[in-house]
Amino acid sequence: MIILTTTPHMAVWGKWLGDALGTNAAGVSAGNAAFGIFLSLLVYLIGQWLFKLGKGFFLFQPLFVGMVLGIFILFLLAKVFGTTTATFYKSAYKPGGDIIFWFLNPATIAFAIPLYRRNDIVKRFWLEILLSLIIGLIASLFFIYGAAKLLGLDHVGIASMLPQAATTAIAMPIASAIGGNAAVTAMACILNAVIIYALGDWLVKFFRINHDPIGAGLGLGTAGHTVGSAKALQLGSIQGSMASIAVVIISIVVDIVVPPFAALMGLK
Amino acid sequence: MARPDKVPQTEPTTEEKPSPIIVQMAIFAAILFVSSLISPLFPPSFPVPTPVIGLILLYVLLATHIVKLRNVEKFGDFMISLIAFLFVPSGIQLAASLNILKTQGLQIVGVVLIATIVMLVVVAYTTAGMIWIRKHIFHRSVDIKS
Repeated sequence: MIILTTTPHMAVWGKWLGDALGTNAAGVSAGNAAFGIFLSLLVYLIGQWLFKLGKGFFLFQPLFVGMVLGIFILFLLAKVFGTTTATFYKSAYKPGGDIIFWFLNPATIAFAIPLYRRNDIVKRFWLEILLSLIIGLIASLFFIYGAAKLLGLDHVGIASMLPQAATTAIAMPIASAIGGNAAVTAMACILNAVIIYALGDWLVKFFRINHDPIGAGLGLGTAGHTVGSAKALQLGSIQGSMASIAVVIISIVVDIVVPPFAALMGLK
Repeated sequence: MARPDKVPQTEPTTEEKPSPIIVQMAIFAAILFVSSLISPLFPPSFPVPTPVIGLILLYVLLATHIVKLRNVEKFGDFMISLIAFLFVPSGIQLAASLNILKTQGLQIVGVVLIATIVMLVVVAYTTAGMIWIRKHIFHRSVDIKS
């Protein structure tokens, strides 16, 4: 409230806005859900507009722009209201953000549809799909462990990096179980999706992954979760179907494989 | 229940008509609700979250023809088309955990970037290898119609 209370006239406006956003009373009151929903839509639309303006420049992907711009706006507003970004996020943005967030549930189960549309591929290649995901994940774990060690992460940091192939709700408890920080793991899962959304097309081209549509789908689903599946659907129906199956299978493989891997590496 | 295979071919349009959007939403909600009842049955050491169970459930219902594509397709495709937007709150959620990044932030982001690329490339190449083995060692067909 530092800036908004400089004049009595401003104080009224500040109180009104603060009440509406739920940032008064030490930032604990329940805010107005409309703000979070509006801000999410606004930053995403700005992202879409920038993406069009930048002729598809990868850093202008709407999700990436929306995330960075959204955090920046919350950071600025928190400064204006004289609270921390985390408190302002919780009281002003989260009520609306949570409503949008909930719709990830039906959106995730909707991926059963592209999966079923290419059931012919699932029926013929189920063994290759299963083995590829298991072997691919174990091989990836060694690389991730090596990269984390090389960049100097401590034991907690390394343990937080290992379960990120799974969907957030699986990765977080696994991270805690092997001595990691669940919040860092959640961040990793979100960043996976943002990175795949921004760089996916370029990576697929650069590593010539799309020569094998089944592999491209499984890779995108593993690395980018449901956002990777949406990317894969843009490449084709087989890729989309394979990414959808990867999201499910890889999560369960992480459940089974990561705890013994962490024990093997002496993390716990 | 009318058997669809006995329906004369003269009126395929009524057969293929998508379900009303409210019905499609109800199917999704029902699956989510049932999944949320199943999810807590798994032990804490082997978590399987609600949407993952829901995805498997809807796939099984489609594969057994209990639910038809026309019952869920319209709403499902719409939800999938929104997925990048639905992820915005997750991205903005990082605003609450910016303090984690203060200590090892750059390294963590670096490892996540490497891990994302590694998972994509390693899984894709492993699959290509498996398909190669299927073709050249087991001599089974790998032709796929796209």
